[in-house]
Amino acid sequence: MDTATNWAEMTWEEKREERFKKWLNPEVKFSSEDAAALYNERVNRFIKAIKLEEPDDRVPVILPAGNIPAYLAGINLKTAMYDYDALRRAWIKFLHEFGPDMDTFIGPGLVLPGKVLEIIDFKLEKWPGHGLPVDIETYQFVEKEYIKAEEYDALIKDPSDFWLRKFLPRAAGAFKAFEKLPQLTAFIGIPVFYVGAYADPEIQAALKVLMEASIETMKWNEAVKDVNRQSLEAGLPSFWGGMSGAPFDMIGDMLRGTNGIMMDMFQRPDKLNEAMERLVPIAIDEAVAGANASGCPIIVMPLHKGTGGFMSNKQYETFYWPTFKKILLGLVNEGLVPMPFAEGNYESRLEIIKDMPRSSMIWWFENMDMAKAKKVLGDTACIAGNIPVTTLCTGMPENVKEQCRKLIEACAPGGGYILTGGATMDRGNPDNLRAVMEAAKEYGVYQK
Amino acid sequence: MNAKKQWAEMTWEEKRTERFKRWLTAPNIKFVSQEAEKLYTERVTRFARAFHLEKTDRVPCILPVSNFAAYYGGSDLRTVMYDYDELKRTWRKFLHELGDSDTFFGPGMVPSGKMLEILDYKLYKWPGHGISGDTTFYQCVEGEYMKADEYDALVKDPSNFWLRTYLPRVFGALEPLRNIPPFTTIEEIAIMSFVSYGRPDVQAAFEALLKAGRESMKWISAVMEVSQEATRMGYPAIMGGLSKAPFDTLGDTLRGTKGIMMDMFQQPDKLHAAMERIASLTIDSSLSSIGDSGVPIIMMPLHKGADGFMSMRQYETFYWPTFQKVIMAFVNEGIMPILFAEGGYNTRLDIIKELPKGAVAWWFDQTDMARAKKVLGDKACIIGNVPTSLLMTGTAQEVKRYCQNLIEICAPGGGYILSGGANIDEGDPDNLRAMMEAVKEYGIY
Repeated sequence: MDTATNWAEMTWEEKREERFKKWLNPEVKFSSEDAAALYNERVNRFIKAIKLEEPDDRVPVILPAGNIPAYLAGINLKTAMYDYDALRRAWIKFLHEFGPDMDTFIGPGLVLPGKVLEIIDFKLEKWPGHGLPVDIETYQFVEKEYIKAEEYDALIKDPSDFWLRKFLPRAAGAFKAFEKLPQLTAFIGIPVFYVGAYADPEIQAALKVLMEASIETMKWNEAVKDVNRQSLEAGLPSFWGGMSGAPFDMIGDMLRGTNGIMMDMFQRPDKLNEAMERLVPIAIDEAVAGANASGCPIIVMPLHKGTGGFMSNKQYETFYWPTFKKILLGLVNEGLVPMPFAEGNYESRLEIIKDMPRSSMIWWFENMDMAKAKKVLGDTACIAGNIPVTTLCTGMPENVKEQCRKLIEACAPGGGYILTGGATMDRGNPDNLRAVMEAAKEYGVYQK
Repeated sequence: MNAKKQWAEMTWEEKRTERFKRWLTAPNIKFVSQEAEKLYTERVTRFARAFHLEKTDRVPCILPVSNFAAYYGGSDLRTVMYDYDELKRTWRKFLHELGDSDTFFGPGMVPSGKMLEILDYKLYKWPGHGISGDTTFYQCVEGEYMKADEYDALVKDPSNFWLRTYLPRVFGALEPLRNIPPFTTIEEIAIMSFVSYGRPDVQAAFEALLKAGRESMKWISAVMEVSQEATRMGYPAIMGGLSKAPFDTLGDTLRGTKGIMMDMFQQPDKLHAAMERIASLTIDSSLSSIGDSGVPIIMMPLHKGADGFMSMRQYETFYWPTFQKVIMAFVNEGIMPILFAEGGYNTRLDIIKELPKGAVAWWFDQTDMARAKKVLGDKACIIGNVPTSLLMTGTAQEVKRYCQNLIEICAPGGGYILSGGANIDEGDPDNLRAMMEAVKEYGIY
């Protein structure tokens, strides 16, 4: 934030007002006065929902569109990943077709550039045509014990060193040589021997690959930026200001794997907790940097391993929630709006997660009895969700609309509700997305 | 190390015995002659006994030279920093012409001038680069390279602080690294991170690093050639690695003297937290640097804990605890730290004697050696301390007489190595030979 000098002394509400102001006034030249007015209306609709107030007109909507713009344009995810012009055309087409009706638009930034992943020999994902059949519409995460149990100490001692010299060499084949790098903090006085390490041909090659990958990423980024700019100009705000997550998932997904972290809860609980503590400020910093760059204060946080059935409530309270809550509060204290996306079923956690300042965040649920969520969380947090993906992908528009009506009736009263999917759809009938918007306009109107 | 399985269970003395055995047997060295091998064994044995407070055939001697060979060979520091052939020629000339000595310092402390220029290193001035071309040494440029409010960043994620804040300040060529994002990320692939590496200025910074790496390699091969020749001729190296006290790391190259002195008063807790963090990183990097050298000795030049720099109370509160932690980590891995106490350490003797017997050696600059012998004599090997002024301006006879006196004071019972209080760059080589004569004449046990 290019903020008032007294940022540190401001309350979280004051900081958030500053960030909302920035969100309301993006650095963009709107394509028309209409677009400017619509932009303002849309952002205000979200802001009211977040503050648990009734929006002036109706329930806001996040259309649950994942990679569907690709398929509606007649290409598939694989093509969108490799052909940046095709990617741009597809998302622009979607923007033009749905733009006037939507409340927000999710750009193509989540469609990863295939060439970059190939250049770095990325091991953590499979994608269409690379480990997955070409016609698959999403990625497959490759979970493994990338980090051994005895490597917690290295993570705790110096997280970036750990990432550079232990994690990256295993996550991407092209960076294997980084294992041989000396510690960045190693040099003393005149760093002759230290610099000598960069003469190693494998390290030189790895750094060259990094530069090559960056040039390729820039090409992809031009396309993504162009789409995002056009969407803003058309008056569609972004709802994806930055990303964060729960430390338990950072370690469980990427580093230790499900099996590893489940064992660690029993065999080395202290190390696990210490490592998660170390990740708290790092995750906050990353989200703040993301939001500062994007101008949008919503921090999307996909959650995985704390879902119902993955662990007991006692384990959730001991291992998952404490550091996760620290991040939530850290984000709130920076004026940001955390929006955890609780994959799976979070019903058993409702009583625990309501322990947050009133109206400080948004909970986006996948499988959840939303009436119950409204009852437990309703005067604490804005809730979002959860049209089933099955209905979106296989139902008729009228089924979708009916689902939305029920959700709106259960969740919308008094404000604090955003209509969206339980997950996003990649393929299906575009009229089902239109039905979502229709439902909001028909059933989601607040009477003044 | 061999016997890896039981390494973790061994005592520090056992580990040290293992490491010294490897230093002594030098399995990878092809000596030039049997005579050279015999002399190598004698010399290492002499040092090993002195370090462990045992008597030996005679007092060992470390000739106090740093850039001496350059001037002896008719060149100067500036030339040998840039011309690696001259570097080799002068050091080899000195090696072959000096005569008997117990150890030999290769040119590893003469950095490549080109490498420093490629990276635009700000922490040092060197001849022809900030200081006069005929200067015989470097000048450290102290500054507040780390600001007073950056302790949290350092403690939170040291390498992140180094890469994105500190390195861009001390290497002009790496300044653009300020623009890269942290390595750590919540995402399994933070694809946007790559975008920053595509910036022309960031690419130029990495190109500079690679170029500096290649330049260093040329320099390293010249250094290795001379150092290996010295070992093959029977002169053991006595420096396997370098390390520092955490207070000095922060005070010398991060906060500066003024900054750290203020921090002792204004933010002592943050200073302690940072020193703890630096201690554990120092231990890791020093232990990994010593891995291949085969020489089980880490040299630690000490600065800001000297007499007059701080009170005893401050020394005990701020300097000693993390310094001791680093020392003991080396000791516990079987490594011998040589602690080079620049300036005077007269007031610190009673504290530093706490370390286990035979664990470390103290190399004194201006400390009273009689008192050092008295206080530390049955705890640690002491090294020193012919004054540099005498070595540079005195006659060989005067040097020899001074050495005789030192030997008489410090040698009895073992645990003494004759050396200078600091190292010289210029002077009469006969003054160095006089030191060798002194140990052979007066230092016999």
